[in-house]
Amino acid sequence: MNEAIAQPLSRRSFLEGLGGVGGTGLVLAGMSALGFGIEARAAAPPVLSGRAGKRIVVLGSGVAGLTSAYELRKAGYDVVLLEARNRVGGRSYTARRGTQLTELGGEPQTCSFDEGLYINPGPWRIPYHHYGYLHYCRTLGVPVELFNNDNDHSYIYYEKGSGPLARRPVRKQEVAADTRGYAAEMLAKQVNQGALDQAFSPGDKELFLDYLKSEGYLTDKDFRYIGTPGRGYDTDPGAGLQPGVPSTPYAMSDLLHSHTWDTLKSVSDFDQQRTMFQPLGGMDRLPAAFGRDLGPIVHLQHVVEKISQTDQGVTVGYVDAQGQRGSVSGDYCVCTLPLSVLRGVDLQVSPGFKDAIGGVSYALVGKIGLQMKRRFWEEDHAIYGGHIYFDDADVGSINLPSTGWLGKKGVVLGYYQFFANAAKISALSLAERQAFAAAAGQKVFPQYAENVETSFSIAWHRVPYNLGGWAQWSDDGRRDAYPKLLEPDGRIYLAGEHLSYIGGWQEGGIESAWSQIAKLHKRVNA
Amino acid sequence: MSKSSARYVMRLLVAGASLAVVAQAQAAPPPTELSGASLFAQNCSACHQLTGKGVPGAFPALAGDAFPQGPPEPVVRLLLNGRGGMPSFRADLDDRQIATVLTYVRSAWGNHAPRIEPAMVARVRGSAAQDHAAQALQAH
Ligand SMILES: Cc1cc2nc3c(=O)[nH]c(=O)nc-3n(C[C@H](O)[C@H](O)[C@H](O)COP(=O)(O)OP(=O)(O)OC[C@H]3O[C@@H](n4cnc5c(N)ncnc54)[C@H](O)[C@@H]3O)c2cc1C
Ligand code: HEC
Repeated sequence: MNEAIAQPLSRRSFLEGLGGVGGTGLVLAGMSALGFGIEARAAAPPVLSGRAGKRIVVLGSGVAGLTSAYELRKAGYDVVLLEARNRVGGRSYTARRGTQLTELGGEPQTCSFDEGLYINPGPWRIPYHHYGYLHYCRTLGVPVELFNNDNDHSYIYYEKGSGPLARRPVRKQEVAADTRGYAAEMLAKQVNQGALDQAFSPGDKELFLDYLKSEGYLTDKDFRYIGTPGRGYDTDPGAGLQPGVPSTPYAMSDLLHSHTWDTLKSVSDFDQQRTMFQPLGGMDRLPAAFGRDLGPIVHLQHVVEKISQTDQGVTVGYVDAQGQRGSVSGDYCVCTLPLSVLRGVDLQVSPGFKDAIGGVSYALVGKIGLQMKRRFWEEDHAIYGGHIYFDDADVGSINLPSTGWLGKKGVVLGYYQFFANAAKISALSLAERQAFAAAAGQKVFPQYAENVETSFSIAWHRVPYNLGGWAQWSDDGRRDAYPKLLEPDGRIYLAGEHLSYIGGWQEGGIESAWSQIAKLHKRVNA
Repeated sequence: MSKSSARYVMRLLVAGASLAVVAQAQAAPPPTELSGASLFAQNCSACHQLTGKGVPGAFPALAGDAFPQGPPEPVVRLLLNGRGGMPSFRADLDDRQIATVLTYVRSAWGNHAPRIEPAMVARVRGSAAQDHAAQALQAH
């Protein structure tokens, strides 16, 4: 007999089980139910009323540093912010004409897109539940537009399966209509044959059959899937004598063997749900608005080398653009440097805290923006935004711009890959990356390679002052290191996306800042 | 979804192929076993450089460095778990591949240390595998 079943579920395996099914959110809810203290998530900045007459040194001007500086200054603190780069924003970044980047170990790169065109090489989309991000867009007057995160009419390009639907672009609407239609038909057949009668209470069965009919566009009388207008027509309906020519479903076996069904989900992941936004004009718009508001308290091109503290205060040593060393002092420090970078800073903290900083590794991630001569995906394929999924993990996906609709040119995200695939592609030269991306897109669009004019690529693990896409916590790291870093070491508070359960999202940086400065303020007022 | 497909792609690459050739590979050749040098070129060279000299201030040199030539267990642990800018390869490389690439690191560029066996990697990996979240259709 199965021993695993015979044993009572331990608390940990119960939580792990939840994690497997429903992700971290469910784990947290489960932890709550088991009596761990889980904080409710904040939807607005903390109210920092009371005393504030202290000087705070904020390190880093990503969204976490900017949020910290903005809220602390608003509360009356004397704030100074040091940023290594010659711009604010950190990972919240936009590449447009003139943007320069030299990856560590890489060639110098200057973006040569036409005026007005851009790519967001880091963050690019904001789901509706990123309340903090949207709060600051409202407060600072940064307009947003819709980001098309799912497109029925887009293609899927899978090449590892077999049969007639492998190694060719297939419209997502066809895959979705047919796969779910057949699945609903098969289930309806079982139900009608009485195979599932045990599962139903009185009255359920008829309702369930109604649901299947609706879900799969099944025929009224005999619950068959014979296609549906939503999968597209062979000839679209038109005026006069053109009722349209319906299309024919693919064979179920061909769909199954193509593996394209693995792009289908009953509902998008929480992180990926529509409504999805992007700032109008580029992801650097929100940090730029913060930067304008904060004005002279932001010191660019101040590379932090050393952070020391006594029980009176903190001192931060930096090197400025002229290579001059200097330092600033304050009562407290809010440090938002990525942990991958902080490991290389001379930091005066306890050994346990220092070990904890090394208790996480960062994700490898690569992107490339390709400027296209013409918007052939719109003009020739009627695809407006959204993604083309590949099962070649070196490519990941191609992503069509949600801006500049119906315009002349556009910038396509040519690949978006992670982990070992990102390590591999990032070892290519800039020209090789562009050639690789052009060849990938050519498999989907015959017009692709000939339209590529110029590109801008990035491998975040090789970007100075980031050294990684986002913190990648293991279960052990979350348990052992993460809680230590949430508490200050002396007068040094850490913040950033890495100290949240919304890791790899700007919202994580913002809400982490809220939570850490609230702690700091409470201490000042104790 | 496809952690296994991510692994599969890695194995597609013909042993010894230069990265430039790899990038142009169109159809899927049958999976082949990769040499230590190719594993290093694909997975490590973007940061530590093909020369093993790294990038000062960001990516440590492995050539002539004591740590990778020292006791094997901490080195294997570092590859499995990562640390800061050093990524975790737990989900991307299997025991044999980790042993092969580390054996290469311990013998290339004038380095000189005993080989590392897959069985030792398996032992350090342990049973409670903590693969990072399988590569999802969508991430971030
Ligand atoms: C490819 C990619 C895609 C993403 N997609 C999304 C998305 O769609 N939506 C979303 O919301 N988020 C996304 N994210 C995540 C998002 O970018 C981050 O979670 C967020 O920007 C982190 O903000 P932060 O302030 O914590 O860190 P950062 O933005 O990294 O800020 C840290 C700052 O510290 C500075 N710094 C570093 N070292 C020093 C030093 N020595 N001295 C002084 N300053 C220093 C850096 O220059 C930087 O400005 C994505 C990230 C990547 C890489
Ligand atoms: C994304 C860049 C990156 C990649 C890819 C990478 N490393 Fe590293 N590696 C680092 C960084 C950064 C460190 C320093 C980590 C720290 O302690 O903060 C490091 C440290 C190491 C060390 C320890 C060096 C020492 O003296 O402490 C070894 C050994 C190592 N890497 C081997 C490898 C191998 C083998 C691969 C490929 C399988 C690899 N690395 C891939 C960035 C990388």
